[in-house]
Amino acid sequence: MNYIKSKGWELSENFVTDERFFDKRRKFLKLGAALAISSAYVMDLAAKESAPSPNLEYLKDPNLQHLTLNSYDQITSYNNFYEFSTNKEAVRPLAKNFKTEPWKVTIDGLVEKPFEVDMHELMKKFSLEERIYRFRCVEGWAMVVPWVGFELSKLIKYARPLLSAKYIRFETLYDPKQFPDQNRGRFAALDYPYVEGLRMDEAMNPLAFMVTGLYGHTLPPQNGAPIRLAVPWKYGFKSIKSIVKITFTDTQPLNTWQQAASNEYGFYANVNPHVDHPRWSQARERVLGKFFKQDTLMFNGYEKEVAYMYKGMDLRKWF
Amino acid sequence: MVLKKQLFLVILLLLPLLFLLYSLFVTGVKDPIKYIYTITGATALTLLYITTSISMIRKAVNLIKYRRTIGLFSFFYALLHFLNFIVFDMELKFSSVLKATLEKPFIYLGLIAFLILLFMAVTSLRVFFTKYYRYHKVIYAVLILASIHFVMAQKALSINQWFYLLIMFIIGIFKFLQRTKMIKI
Repeated sequence: MNYIKSKGWELSENFVTDERFFDKRRKFLKLGAALAISSAYVMDLAAKESAPSPNLEYLKDPNLQHLTLNSYDQITSYNNFYEFSTNKEAVRPLAKNFKTEPWKVTIDGLVEKPFEVDMHELMKKFSLEERIYRFRCVEGWAMVVPWVGFELSKLIKYARPLLSAKYIRFETLYDPKQFPDQNRGRFAALDYPYVEGLRMDEAMNPLAFMVTGLYGHTLPPQNGAPIRLAVPWKYGFKSIKSIVKITFTDTQPLNTWQQAASNEYGFYANVNPHVDHPRWSQARERVLGKFFKQDTLMFNGYEKEVAYMYKGMDLRKWF
Repeated sequence: MVLKKQLFLVILLLLPLLFLLYSLFVTGVKDPIKYIYTITGATALTLLYITTSISMIRKAVNLIKYRRTIGLFSFFYALLHFLNFIVFDMELKFSSVLKATLEKPFIYLGLIAFLILLFMAVTSLRVFFTKYYRYHKVIYAVLILASIHFVMAQKALSINQWFYLLIMFIIGIFKFLQRTKMIKI
């Protein structure tokens, strides 16, 4: 007699999943995994939405830190460019017809031989690469931007400064015909032309970047066309736009914001969550497009790359 | 008829809020916390200017029956502004609120202005009004504090901010001339 005695741990046959459903479930799981992978791709696409198709050749940034990019629209429609307007959303329409051709950059001061270089020529001298950088404004908002350009150190080597050069000074275009706020006299928001500067070792740091493009395309005017600086470990105002003059000097340049309010803005302007602005805290930041705040990182997350330059310095004093 | 006009006024005064909600939830805003500050702050300050103007010109143009509604709405927008500070900006961390309030003049000037407005809103209730209405002159202190707070909120003064300051000076001078009886309106 064939007697089947079920063991205690055995389940009854009617608990067994039908083969058809088993296969379906496998497929469903695979679909889920595919979706998870592709959603990163979809997000990437969404960020590029409304971006003009790339017209630059450059080495892509592998984005090893997996930073989430802000969209092209966010980056190009919320700009602090006081020469046009103090209203960040008014800058894009005002900058629409900004003329960047012809454009010349003057290089002078403590260099072997001062010279002037045409923007087209300058672009040909250096191969372009992409840098995905965090950007932190001193006002408390932040974004992640895929810049395209070349290292500032390459430009410096090309300029051949003298050993006596200790600082580098940048100047934005002065053209009241194109910049409405340069026309307002005593009601202008700032003294123009806009000036920024770096210590020579800061300028030679591999992170210091000259930007000529964004999202693989030529830089739009509101973001500082045709050439701007990006120093991601410093507050945004250090990353000067639409540069026409680069001067090597042995004295620390007086940058525009320091000149406007030296109790609030210094020469260094390193991102530092532990040193408050006199009017607001710098501990946290608002990422564009998000409702909730996040922690601000020391040197904006580039501590490893830049902290050595400020060793022994009182960052409270040299803000 | 008066009721209808009041209703119309209330709808008018709600427009900035509707605009704010529409921008936040329909069109989308890049820097929401900052945006809420700007819209609620500018509205509260503008309404404050309007209520004081109504008081000053009441002998020439009598709009006094609308003053309380406008004043209360100014408080309402100031309240939203304050809540934005506590809930979204300070993220309900009361230690941060306290620290910011004690350390930053920009914050405590605004907060004092808000507390005075709160006092005015409460004492505008009929039960308190007869006893407290003479203290409502503190609105001029609010006007000055709020304008300073507004100017301090900017990184640099531009034309728009100068315009707000100009309105405040006009109100101030007008009030001074009225008090010294140099003009009679």
